[in-house]
Parts: sequence; C-alpha cells; structure tokens
Amino acid sequence: MKKSIGFIFLLCYVLMMSMCRKPDIFPEEGYDERLSGGLQTAFDATSQSFTHEFEGMSQYDELIHELGDAAFEQTFVTAPAPINNGLGPIYNNVSCISCHHNDGKGVPSTGGIESSLLVRISQPGVDEHGGPLGIQGFGGQLQDKAVFGKLSECNVDITYAEQTYTFPDGTTYKLRTPTYTLNNLYQPIVVNYLLSPRLAPPVFGLGLLAAIPENQILAHSDINDRDGDGISGKPNYVWDPEKEIVMLGRFGLKANTATLMTQVAAAYNNDMGITNRIFKHDPTYNTSQWDSLGDDPELPDSILNAVKFYIQTLQVPARRNVNLPDVLSGKKIFMEAKCGSCHIPTFTTEINVALPSISNQRIQPYSDLLVHDMGPGLADNRPDYDADGTEWRTAPLWGIGLFETVNYPAYYLHDGRARTITEAIMWHGGEAEFSKNFVAQLNKSDRDALLKFLKSL
Amino acid sequence: MKSFTFLLPIILFSCVIISSCKKDSEQNSSTTTDLEKKIITDFADIVAFPNYQEIETKAMFLNQQAAILNTSTTAANLTIAQNSWRDLRSSWELCEAFIFGPVEDFNYDPALDTWPVNKTDLDSLLASNNGLTVADIEQLPSSLKGFHPIEYLLFGVGGNKMAGDFTSREKEYLLSLTASLLSTTTALRSSWDSGSPDDFKTQFKTAGEGSTRYEKRQDAFITLVSAMAGICDEVANGKMEVPFAAQDSTLEESQFSHNSTADFRNNIKGVEHVYLCKFNSDGTGLNDLVNSKHLALDNKIKNQLSAAINSFDAIDDNYGSAIYTQPVQILNVQNAINALKTTLETDLMNFVFINVKN
Repeated sequence: MKKSIGFIFLLCYVLMMSMCRKPDIFPEEGYDERLSGGLQTAFDATSQSFTHEFEGMSQYDELIHELGDAAFEQTFVTAPAPINNGLGPIYNNVSCISCHHNDGKGVPSTGGIESSLLVRISQPGVDEHGGPLGIQGFGGQLQDKAVFGKLSECNVDITYAEQTYTFPDGTTYKLRTPTYTLNNLYQPIVVNYLLSPRLAPPVFGLGLLAAIPENQILAHSDINDRDGDGISGKPNYVWDPEKEIVMLGRFGLKANTATLMTQVAAAYNNDMGITNRIFKHDPTYNTSQWDSLGDDPELPDSILNAVKFYIQTLQVPARRNVNLPDVLSGKKIFMEAKCGSCHIPTFTTEINVALPSISNQRIQPYSDLLVHDMGPGLADNRPDYDADGTEWRTAPLWGIGLFETVNYPAYYLHDGRARTITEAIMWHGGEAEFSKNFVAQLNKSDRDALLKFLKSL
Repeated sequence: MKSFTFLLPIILFSCVIISSCKKDSEQNSSTTTDLEKKIITDFADIVAFPNYQEIETKAMFLNQQAAILNTSTTAANLTIAQNSWRDLRSSWELCEAFIFGPVEDFNYDPALDTWPVNKTDLDSLLASNNGLTVADIEQLPSSLKGFHPIEYLLFGVGGNKMAGDFTSREKEYLLSLTASLLSTTTALRSSWDSGSPDDFKTQFKTAGEGSTRYEKRQDAFITLVSAMAGICDEVANGKMEVPFAAQDSTLEESQFSHNSTADFRNNIKGVEHVYLCKFNSDGTGLNDLVNSKHLALDNKIKNQLSAAINSFDAIDDNYGSAIYTQPVQILNVQNAINALKTTLETDLMNFVFINVKN
C-alpha cells in the first residue's frame, strides 16, 4: 500500500513538473516549409497558382474579391461608351490582366497587346513631396499608346547587347544589357531626362506583405552598415497621395509606394488613363491632348476598392520538393552566399481582427522590402524618393520557381532582362557583389542545388 | 479563383494512403499509370490539337467568305459570312474549356477575343482615311480586332446589318480583320504542333516525364480540372451573370450576332469534351480514370454535364432579351453550371490529388 502511495505521489510530481513547464517559442523546425503564405498558401503548381483567393473569408469578402477579380480583367475602351469607358487618351495597356498575366508577370516589351513593361521618366531634382520631378508634357511615366485621334507620348524601343560569360567549370551563360530609346516623341523633351524601366511584377501575396509590421522591416535596416557586412538595407519613405503623409514604401520595384490602394489607383491612372478618387486627372491633364469630357472620376470607388481587395487577398503558392536533399543543400548554399541577408526568409504578419485571414501568419516572402545598392549594371540612375539611382527593392522570391509555369517564357529582374534565374543572380552587384561572386565560384553540382532550392520557392 | 488551401488535409491524407499502399500489386499501379498517361496524351491528340486545327480551318473559310463579300456584297453572301463567323465561333468557344498553354502564354486569347469592342475608336477609324491593310490592322489594339469587331461589322448593332449597309471601308476592314484572325489561329495551332519550335503538345504529353512545364503528371490533371471549373465559373458567374444582374443588354458578349447562348453552351460542351475526351473522335478521358475508381463521382459529373448543357434549351429568346424575359430559365442554367463547377473544383480536384500520385 505504502509503495502504491509513493508511486502515485511520484507520478503526480512528474505530471505537475511537466505541466509547469513554461511555454517555449514554437521551434523553427516545427513549421511546414511548404506554407509560404502561412494559412494563405495555395497547393497548386500550375499556371493558375497565383490566382487563388484567401481561405476563410466571410461570404461578403468573397463577393468583393470576386468583383475585384472580374474588374481586374476588364478591358477599358474609349469614352464615350456604355461600359468600361475612359481609356486613355494615352495609356500603356487596356486592363490590369494585360500586364499581370495570370496575376503574374508579363513580357518585357513595349507597345504591344502583351507588353508589360513601362518606363518612368523624370528630370534631375525632386517634386514638392521629395519624389521624382516630372517633365512638363510627359509627367512621370511614358504612355506609349493612345486612343484614336490622340498621339502616344513616344515609342520606346528596346535593344539588347549580349555578352557570354563562363563559370569555372566551363558552363556558359549570357547577360543581355538593354538600351531604351525614345522615338516619335509627340513634342520636344528636355535633354537631361532620366528613364527607369519597370516590368509588371506578380500581384499575389501583397496583402501579406502589407501586413508585415513596420518594426519587423525596419529591424533589418542598416543604412550605414554598422555591422560591417557590406549590406545596408534602406527603408524608402514616400509620399502617399491618399493619406497625404510620408509613409514606409513597400510596393513597386523601388518600394516607392506605401499602400495597396495607392498602388492600384496609380496603375489605373498612369497605365490605363482611368481617373479615380485618388488620381483625379488623367496624364494628359493640362496638355493639348486632354479630352475634357468632364467624366472624372471614371472609376467608381466600389471598383477601386474591390480591385485593391482582390490583390490584397491572393494566396501564395506552396513550396515544392522542400525535403529533397538537393533542395536542402541549395538552401544552405543560399544562406552561405548571404542571399538571405536581403532575401529575408521569414516574417510574421500583424494581428488584424478586421481581416483574420491575414492575421498573425508566418510567411516566407524572401525579401526585406528594403532598397539596396545593386551595382552599376542594374542601376537606372534615377532616384525615386529615398532610393537612389543604384538602389532597388529586394524582390520577394516566393513563387519564383513557378514564373516559368505561370508566365512562359519567364523573365526576371526589374526590367525582364534576365531570362533565367542564373542570369538574374549573375546580374547582382553592389551590396550583392559577395553573393554573386560566391555563386560564380560554386561547382556545377552546388550551383544546380542552389537553383533547385530557388525553383522550390 | 477559389482557394486551394482546403486541399491541405487531402494532400496529407493522400500521403498516408500512398505510403500505406505499398503492398498493392505493381500491375495495378502500372495500369493506372498507363491510364493516366493515355488520358494526357489523348487530350492533346484527340481534343486540343484537332480543336485548334478546326479553328484555323474555319478561320480560313471565314476569310474566304469575307473576300467574296468584298467583291460581291449580296444578302446571300452576307448570310454565308455571318454563318461562317458563327461556325468558327462555336469551335473557339469549345476550346475555351482549356485555356492554358500558348493560348495564354502568347496572348492569343486577347488577340482573338477581347471584349468589349472599342466602338468609339472603331467608328472613328472607319470614318478616317487611315490605312486598313492587314499590316495596319496588326498594329491596332486588341479591342479593334478579333472576333467582336468582325461580329460588329458583319451583324451591326442589333444584328440588323444588311448587305446594302456596307461601306467600302467596312469591307476592307472586315477582310483585313479576318486575315489577321486567320494568322493568329495559325500561330495558335502551330504552337501545339509537334513539329513547331514551341511544341506545347509534347510539353503536355510528357508531364511528369521530362516536361519543363509540368513537373508532375498530377500538375497536368490539375490544369485540366482547373480549366474546366474555370470556364464554368466564367460562364455562370461572369458572362451570364453580369448582363443579367445589371439588367443591361449592352453587357452581353456576343450582342451583335445574338450568339451568346450558343457561346455559353459551347463553353460547357467544351468541358464535356475534356472530361470524356471527345472531339471528332473518342479517346481515353478523365472519365475513364474516375469511372475505374469512383463510379458515383463519374455518374455525378456526367449527369451534371448533361443537365447543364440541356438546361440551355429553355432559353429560347436571344440572351440580350432573355435577361429581361426569361429570368427563371437563366437562373436554372446558372444553377446547373454552378453545381457542375462545385463538383469539378471540389470532388474531382480532390479525386485527382488522391489518385494521381506522380
């Protein structure tokens, strides 16, 4: 009996001790590597993998998402028209989907129906909010198409000079350097103009990026490189025309846009010539090409809000093959090459009671959303708020392994000059010089492992 | 598009099933693998490529009829040209049940079928002295070429176009538009041709076995099911719903020809073609795989396909009028298509995740 009491006492003691353990942080290895978007991860590796709506939304939110989806595909036409009117008078393309094919990227060409590349323009100096200084008659973006009877601002012709390089193991790769030439200008232009080409980026996962707490992003900022690792990481503080305050830029290839609402409204206005409550005049306002129809804003607020909500609530595709030895080895090389110093693998989104589906998710964007000096090879030499002419925002790498599936053929980097991931890596410079050189000296086996890791994202 | 997160439990479950099924006979596994390969191969050889070939052939015929109409603008020739547009349109709508691959990669879809027509610019273009050669047409934005501008010229607003209404510039524009359309359909067909540089047919047929576009065979199946469910959604909740909900016939897609109901029906018939693998001949389809493992699901899909396709019979007014006069019939069609869509994107998609293991 006494032995039994002693045993029971001992058992209770062990139980109590185990119950009194303080909660630990959930171990890193306990997370499923496939869940790039946390609970908002889509298990689809097909051409539709960027198009899935958030899980767990209310019926009303689903309806708004679907309205936004339909509006995202809507083709605009010249006013007056019974539907979808207001295109132009000058524009880059006719719908959101025309540039973001399958909610992904497009083609680095200009002037065609498939073209997804636009060119920003400015002159030395800054505007009243510290942003790029536009050019009279051209504004801040070149519209290379026009409705009937109007003149496009110019044609942008792209030519490439290609050079072949060789890895130590004898494998060759080619890098093509683009040159942008403005032809058929509709009016004379100042000679000291600055150009910055931008290829439309994918639109999935943006709601999750918007939900990363600002302090998590700033924690990676090291403008003066105090830790001496050669990597700075600069936040780009930009003027937000909706809120009329300076905010941390997160979106755009130079992080020159703070919110999804401004991103969507600016795209409607600059890319399609559609006026809205944030951008009340089309790019021809105060020029001889202005249509003066008095129909502004052309885009109902409900549609603007729905499209913003649509791109806010697109899931991230799941990673694939995460446990293959080559992929694991490639991830190790990725970190050894210090790629992960800017392509930060993991963030946790903020608590959001209004939109629980986006709240408190461990996500793997592989970006710090900061701008970095990428070297002279990629420089556009056109400042954009705090981002100088060599700095670009770290591109999120989630989904990069599916670019070729979603948008074939795939193009990489801000202007689509890279046709493979290898080319994209070898274009890195500036703060990423070490990483590029690290990859350049890898043997073929390790280089292939690195690519397999990147293709798993 | 609906979320795929709901598939996570299915994926985990299928991993358990797969790992616990190792003792199954290799013969069964090999038979299933062969069946899966056959389904993919037959889809490419029997449905997709012949459909694209037929589109090109019919586009050629439409171009020829536009040429005849150009030289002899009679009521009879106009009727033949209009009917050849409808005929081509039917083949195009069938292939919208599998909008993936080159048709989306190389923007053949918007080049052929952008909607709405930019009528303001189209009328301005016709009223101008601008060139209307094929080379000129190729430079126009997508809303000024393809199916719907051709439809506008052939049928006119309200579908009341008469042979005597044609201006010489309209005929010139029409001829160039049909030549441009033919050129695009040739490129589309070629992109699936085994001998072409793109050769998407081989890409698809080698899914899971060297294809650079479809790493796993399962990806090809998901693509098929996703495309089928996608067109059901677009028809029921987009093409039909938008003008119906707004009670606005200007939102109808094929409003000049009053061909919308036929368009919708052919979209769903295209889904049937993919599922059963049939076009001008029959092959091994998804139904064969589903039938061998889940008879009830196969029957359900077949019944819902029939119900959805047959439900269109009740709409006997043209769609632009039916949105005002036949709301019950339209709702019934939408419900039938949505039921099919739900089965495809849940039951059939789950089936694919569980059963297509590569």
